[in-house]
Amino acid sequence: MNGPHTASQSVMRQLIITWADFESRLLKVPIIERIMRGQLRLDDYRQILLNHRQQVIEGSRWIARAASSIDHRYAELRSTFIRHANTEHRDYQMLDENYLTVGGNKERLLNSEKNIGSEALSAWMFHQASQPNPFDLLGAMFIIEGLGQKFARTFAQKIQQQLNLSEEQVSFYLYHADHDEEHIGELEATLQSGILDDEGLAARIAKTARVTARLYLLQLEELGNY
Amino acid sequence: MQDAYITGAGRFLPGPALSNKEIEDYIGCIHGQPSAFRAATLRKNGIKSRHYAIDKNGNYLYTNALMAAEAVKAATADAKRDLASIQLLATSTTQGDLLVPGFASAVHGELGIPPLELASFQSVCASSMMAFKNAYLNIKAGENEVAAVCGSEFSSRWFRPGFYESCVSENEARKPPIDLDFLRWTLSDGAGAVIVEPKPKSRGVSLQCDWVELKSFADRFDPCMYAGTNSNSSNTGKPWSHYQTPQHAYQDGAMALRQDFELLYQMFPVWLGYYLSLMEKHQFSPGNINYFLPHYSARSLGEEMKKLMISAGAMIPEERWFNNLTTVGNTGSASIFLMLEELLRSAELKPGQTILCFVPESGRCIASFMHLTVVSQEGN
Repeated sequence: MNGPHTASQSVMRQLIITWADFESRLLKVPIIERIMRGQLRLDDYRQILLNHRQQVIEGSRWIARAASSIDHRYAELRSTFIRHANTEHRDYQMLDENYLTVGGNKERLLNSEKNIGSEALSAWMFHQASQPNPFDLLGAMFIIEGLGQKFARTFAQKIQQQLNLSEEQVSFYLYHADHDEEHIGELEATLQSGILDDEGLAARIAKTARVTARLYLLQLEELGNY
Repeated sequence: MQDAYITGAGRFLPGPALSNKEIEDYIGCIHGQPSAFRAATLRKNGIKSRHYAIDKNGNYLYTNALMAAEAVKAATADAKRDLASIQLLATSTTQGDLLVPGFASAVHGELGIPPLELASFQSVCASSMMAFKNAYLNIKAGENEVAAVCGSEFSSRWFRPGFYESCVSENEARKPPIDLDFLRWTLSDGAGAVIVEPKPKSRGVSLQCDWVELKSFADRFDPCMYAGTNSNSSNTGKPWSHYQTPQHAYQDGAMALRQDFELLYQMFPVWLGYYLSLMEKHQFSPGNINYFLPHYSARSLGEEMKKLMISAGAMIPEERWFNNLTTVGNTGSASIFLMLEELLRSAELKPGQTILCFVPESGRCIASFMHLTVVSQEGN
């Protein structure tokens, strides 16, 4: 058997196991359950956007922080993190437009803060990103990007149907459904690049994925609780 | 602990194999109108032929229990055992012939063999693995020496027009709601059985049972394939038995068998996750599995899932998938036994080869797996 591949496959297995648990638990979070049942109100959608916005803003910031924690031996990976942060760091503006086109209040948008779940998620991300060579964050990316790749389209279509919205009004989620797949491919390549030679990293990636998944759920469970 | 081996397998498929064109001759048309979705659904599920325990006039030719008993007889003969030697009978089905008493009692009654230990499992497809695991543990614990396990279904009786005409109007009959229509083209009748013993049979191939695992995910899913209520939402659906009379339940559409498609697709990742966790737990490598018997088709896996499985080193090469869904139909709890029976009969199994069985259940999300190793006594 080819060693590096086996190591990356083992990490992928752990990540998919975590993902599967995460996704099915997601379906039981009250707001998601209501979306799936077709019981969403327009006000709920605004609430989701407002709460999600904080994490989207923070997302590219912690990726940038992580990039600055990567030393020169991993310059190639640092480039990847920087590119990734660059691609995403203004994504929240798309979300803002969605919010305003569904009647959201601009004042409220600009003054919004993190809900208590987002606080925990963000604190965790920045803490991990501040450690030297924080490649365990690949596990966090798998969960968050995976949500875009596997869930965002269903999510966008459901919201669109129930609330009779145009594609432009749910464009943030549709955009992520279209673009996050590339990131998963990148992740696989990164896992095969030799970083797994660092003993213990595989287990740290898996654990960071588990913690991130739990805190992501918390963020959704605490919608509107600031 | 003793070992446990499958020493024989048998099947019973009622009547002739029926082509796709003949389906409505048997199960009939709702309000006399053929469904516009038939061809598309059959393309999707890939089934080419199936068997029904009813005739063209809607006469019932067998009972579910009778089919199960016939499969047990065939399996017992294959194991070269007397019927009377069976000490444990574990049955599985989605729906027995009667509401009360249990189905295993009916199968025992049909077999007419002396008093024995009984286990009666009712779920959907995965009830087969529950029954099997009961027998497997029973043999391992040394409680009994010969166990018979069967799975049987009489799905076609759900599909007669009379079951739908209270909830599908004449105007809708050409294009019935998909949650009702899909299963009419998917499920069919039949029974399968295996014999489990602590030693392989003295001549020929037996299958050593290495492990059986099963998990329910009902904590996170509502009912997906269901009957006895007209909605799977816990807010609106009420059990058939809570209506004023059984007629009221029927009138309200609570007696039809339904499948919620959206929910079904949401179960795939959960099943995959469980499979990967078993790979870790039992440390098996997909490359070392010689035969993969899924109650499932490779086609319905989808490209995205396949990609994920490959990246996780979890994909069993498709040429090792063994599945007779297209020829014997989807027979629910009978399916895994029908696959094992055909594999034992048709494949050239060699000692040391491994078989992985996979039975997912959409009912309310269950997944089960079983790992077998081929053993062969001399004179094979």
